[in-house]
Amino acid sequence: MIRSRRPSFPLTLLWFWFLRVLPAWLGMAAVIFLMQVAVAAIVHDNANVKIFLTILKHLPSIVRTAIGGDLVESGSMTALLTVGYQHPLVMFLYMLYAVGVPVGLLPGETQRGTMELILSRPITRTQVYICAAVLSLVGMFGLIAMMFLGTVASVHLYTFSEPIDLSLFLRLSACAALLAGAFGSFALVCAASFDRLYAAAGLAAGFLTLNYFIAIVAEWWPPLHFLHKATLFYLVYYSNLWYAWPIDNMAWLAAILVSLAILGGIIWRCRDLPS
Amino acid sequence: MAAVEIRSLTKRYGRSRGIEDISFAIEPGEIFGYLGPNGAGKTTTIRCIMGLLRSSDGEVRVLGQRVKAGRGTMHARIGYLPGEFRIWGRPRAGRSLSMLAALGGDCGAAARRRALAERLELDLRRPVGDLSKGNRQKVAVILAFQHQPDVLILDEPTAGLDPLMRDVVLRLIRETAAAGAAILLSSHDLSEVSAICGRAAILREGRLVELSPISQIVQQGEQRLKVWFADPTLRPDAAVARLPGVRVVEQEPGVLHLAYQGPAGPVLRWLNQFAVDRVTTPQTSLQEAFLQYYQEPSDSACGAGDSKGLRA
Repeated sequence: MIRSRRPSFPLTLLWFWFLRVLPAWLGMAAVIFLMQVAVAAIVHDNANVKIFLTILKHLPSIVRTAIGGDLVESGSMTALLTVGYQHPLVMFLYMLYAVGVPVGLLPGETQRGTMELILSRPITRTQVYICAAVLSLVGMFGLIAMMFLGTVASVHLYTFSEPIDLSLFLRLSACAALLAGAFGSFALVCAASFDRLYAAAGLAAGFLTLNYFIAIVAEWWPPLHFLHKATLFYLVYYSNLWYAWPIDNMAWLAAILVSLAILGGIIWRCRDLPS
Repeated sequence: MAAVEIRSLTKRYGRSRGIEDISFAIEPGEIFGYLGPNGAGKTTTIRCIMGLLRSSDGEVRVLGQRVKAGRGTMHARIGYLPGEFRIWGRPRAGRSLSMLAALGGDCGAAARRRALAERLELDLRRPVGDLSKGNRQKVAVILAFQHQPDVLILDEPTAGLDPLMRDVVLRLIRETAAAGAAILLSSHDLSEVSAICGRAAILREGRLVELSPISQIVQQGEQRLKVWFADPTLRPDAAVARLPGVRVVEQEPGVLHLAYQGPAGPVLRWLNQFAVDRVTTPQTSLQEAFLQYYQEPSDSACGAGDSKGLRA
């Protein structure tokens, strides 16, 4: 009997997929980086801050909540810089990457018929899943790193009238990375469960959007404050990380991230492909 | 040792039928035809062999190794050409092929890929999206053959190819089998199957209804008899159609084309009452034999242990 060797890790597939994802990643990373610089360009000048706060007062209260709420209205420059971290455009880009990459790689290749070709080679399903998971999660962490680097660059580019505590932004970025990773892992579960691209994308995007809107509405409308804890965004709420590392919340996010990523892998491995 | 061995393979999709109790083996150097109409279960069997589907029961062994779904079992030594071949449109054909070859170690595939492309007259520098259907099929053929596999699973390998290229591919299949590879060929082109396959299995409604050498499949079907009567206006009565195992294929004044199963005696005795000018026995084709399996009632299905069945 001829023994089959355990297939070696498919770095070729990882590289092939990386090159496909790279243009979109670069575009998003550039926008997120420039967003931080643009926010810093506005808030480093006291006159601009006054104008910004005046504009903010004229916006509907739910919009104010969406871009930072009480935190931004405090007028602190450090707080104002966090607008770049909470802006709906930045949130949308994270969601686009978190959903688009796993869904594009797993059900995308399955629906296209190319997954059958990939799996006809000496490669295990788990290895295929790991390639998709690595690109999804590392890519998300990379985008968050670009966001933090944007703040670091801004602090060096502009002079602020008050000291900017970069360690706060590091904490914020680390928590955001875990939150984005948790959402990316949920998208991986959806991607591993469906053959159809739109079914997987719809469920993942629906979950993310629902979380986001519940978090905003719960903060904006006092009678619904109790719902705030029902969303993953609660784990990165500013009051939880403003002064210290929120170790408990980070551990929760890391546990959710890892559990969902493993669950997706199990589903992917147990399913018939293509069904 | 059989290169591919399937024992009592069953795949069910919930309540709907997949395949039921399929057993056969393919020896090294053999080209094995796998026939059946659309939806009979050919692709399901092939996907179970490739480990893409998890079998509900039974087992598949490739080169002695049990296939486990999703494990890439022996896949470095299997060449696979799927029935619905789709590949990335934007990269060049050569780039996609080299990526897929590299997933298996790419031991010398580049040189063979170039040689195959030359033989099939395919420009590997063009993006697959720009290629015609026939040229995409050539990419599929190269994908299956480029790493010199010991087992080839080919689902409609000549679909969309012109007759000249079809001959090139069939020659390639024969040469690969002559070099010792075991080949499973699923095709709707029965002339192609009868030309290159030694044995064939016929599937109907997910079950194996025949597993024999092609010559035997053809012989054990109906025999044909064409009779020219001395009287060119003669139209024999319908009594012949009432003889057991006999049917009239075609009838015109002075000529009768019959098909019969079993001994020829009753037909010849019936013919004896007429003045016959000439008799011929047209050859039954695989296509005619194949069609008979779909005109018979479905209770004639045979399983693994059937007398027509499994070759060890």
